[in-house]
Amino acid sequence: MEKIISIKDVTYTYPESKQPAINNLSLDIYRNEWVSIVGRNGSGKSTLAKLIDGLIESESGTIFVDGQEVNEENIWNIRSKIGIVFQNPDHQFVGATVEDDVAFGLENQGVPRDEMVKEVDDALKMVDMQDYKTRDPQSLSGGQKQRVAIAGVLATKPSIIIMDESTSMLDPNGRKTVLDLVKQLRDQQDMTIISITHDIEETELSERIVVLRSGEVVKEADPKAIYDMGSELTKYGLEEPFSSQVASLLKDGIKLPEGYLNEEELIENIWKLSSKM
Amino acid sequence: MEIIFKNVTHSYEANSPLEGIGLNDVSLAIHDKKFTAIVGKTGSGKSTLVRHINALIKPTSGTIKVGDREITPETNNKNLKSLRKNVGMVFQFPESQLFEDTVEKDIMFGPMNFGMSESDAKESAKKMIKLVGLGEEYLDKSPFDLSGGQMRRVAIAGVLASNPETIILDEPTAGLDPVGRKEIMDLFKNLQKQGRTIILITHNMDDVANYAEEMVVIHDAKVMAVGKPKDIFNDKELLTNDILTLPRSAVFAQKLSKRDFSFPQLPITISELTAEIKQQVHGD
Ligand SMILES: Nc1ncnc2c1ncn2[C@@H]1O[C@H](COP(=O)(O)OP(=O)(O)OP(=O)(O)O)[C@@H](O)[C@H]1O
Ligand SMILES: Nc1ncnc2c1ncn2[C@@H]1O[C@H](COP(=O)(O)OP(=O)(O)OP(=O)(O)O)[C@@H](O)[C@H]1O
Ligand SMILES: [Mg+2]
Ligand SMILES: [Mg+2]
Repeated sequence: MEKIISIKDVTYTYPESKQPAINNLSLDIYRNEWVSIVGRNGSGKSTLAKLIDGLIESESGTIFVDGQEVNEENIWNIRSKIGIVFQNPDHQFVGATVEDDVAFGLENQGVPRDEMVKEVDDALKMVDMQDYKTRDPQSLSGGQKQRVAIAGVLATKPSIIIMDESTSMLDPNGRKTVLDLVKQLRDQQDMTIISITHDIEETELSERIVVLRSGEVVKEADPKAIYDMGSELTKYGLEEPFSSQVASLLKDGIKLPEGYLNEEELIENIWKLSSKM
Repeated sequence: MEIIFKNVTHSYEANSPLEGIGLNDVSLAIHDKKFTAIVGKTGSGKSTLVRHINALIKPTSGTIKVGDREITPETNNKNLKSLRKNVGMVFQFPESQLFEDTVEKDIMFGPMNFGMSESDAKESAKKMIKLVGLGEEYLDKSPFDLSGGQMRRVAIAGVLASNPETIILDEPTAGLDPVGRKEIMDLFKNLQKQGRTIILITHNMDDVANYAEEMVVIHDAKVMAVGKPKDIFNDKELLTNDILTLPRSAVFAQKLSKRDFSFPQLPITISELTAEIKQQVHGD
């Protein structure tokens, strides 16, 4: 597998802070991978995203993106490959209207005018916001803002997408639609997805879960191995997957196999027990 | 305080080409000292609804009664202080409600604005910051030099510090880690038990099932349903029309229904679900 992001021994301390927000952290991310980054509030997730995009500069260590070191010289080249959906969509908006806003990233890429109109339309349709083209993004509802922020990033077809809790205010069906869309784009366009999230259900979509604590990587494994940690997950501020919560309550009275069962497996097991009766 | 919406319509940019309906002829009672959840899809009108309660926006037509205060299209921005003292609101985006240069001053602002002495407000800030799960060391920081979830916690602390009778929470747990979410939801539940009225907007149906006594479903700027969560989540019409989604326990039960289990009423909490399963497996 080809590394697309390689972070080595990176430390970052905010001005006027005593403790580093990122502490001697190393992490590799592979092309076309979907990685979830999880951890308690303040564990360093957003800071890590900003370091990868060169929005802040590490005090030690190195970050490589697609073979180039993140530094002043390469910064524009690197940023053209990365699309970040920020945690607060208000930080994302630059345009006075929704369509201007989505067009902004395309303009920066030098996309010709006539193509741009179509691509803006396409991106807004993908997130079901085509009817809001002429609205001021600041006047949208919370979930509508998040949709437009996502459209703005998808429109530029970056090779790496970093989503910083970017579906946190969508309704459950809307969230599912957007995640399915991202999954589809990832498969079709060879994108790499880094998703910062507190939603344990969402992490099932990823190949790997990286757990941060106090600016350090404390666990890094495929979802099943992480879910196998069971109630230990709460130590890292995480929730147990729903099927594990159900299983542990059922075990008091019903015999179930050890280890993590996903929802289908758990239902299968419960069904077998009941049909024996 | 009883909150009563009577035929409330709200048009954004009324009489302009951009006119949009935020609320369409809504009549609704939100009961005193209850925990009421407000749910609905993206853009359905939830935030618009609650912003009327402390007169952040005024109805285009209709009235809202909050205790013995009445808010009408003519209500002006004077004399709203007593209303805002009684009705605290945590905004959907916490950053928009933080403005002082330290967390401490930010939390102290509300209480002092409503007449608390500086030293009492300082004490209160210390108490509140711990209540929302942050250490005292955060008091001296700028509220803008915090992580998203930390900002959220500070915004909640700031609203609770004024000790409002009615607390409106617009997606207050978005951005909180799951452990923090549970702590903060338990905190709200405790405040209700102590006699506050809690109004919670959320997309998390598990939180609705676990914490709310009443539930309001908003769809397309209208109230579609009002009732107890258990009844609403068992309303087939709302579900088939994609107006509402279910708590995870109910979804799980639906899947089991395809495997010889039967649930006359869908369970909505995990304890209901597991109790039902045990009973049906043991056949007693
Ligand atoms: N602009 C800033 N100035 C100073 N300290 C900051 C700043 N932004 C964040 N921090 C601190 O750095 C640490 C890491 O913050 P970061 O935003 O990366 O956390 P996070 O994991 O994204 O948390 P959340 O889940 O709450 O978004 C926190 O302790 C936070 O208080
Ligand atoms: N200032 C405004 N000007 C014009 N339209 C607005 C304004 N604020 C909200 N709207 C529109 O009113 C409708 C209802 O918005 P509201 O913010 O109440 O939705 P919501 O139910 O809170 O949604 P969400 O879950 O996404 O936060 C939306 O279509 C929104 O775009
Ligand atoms: Mg963050
Ligand atoms: Mg809203």
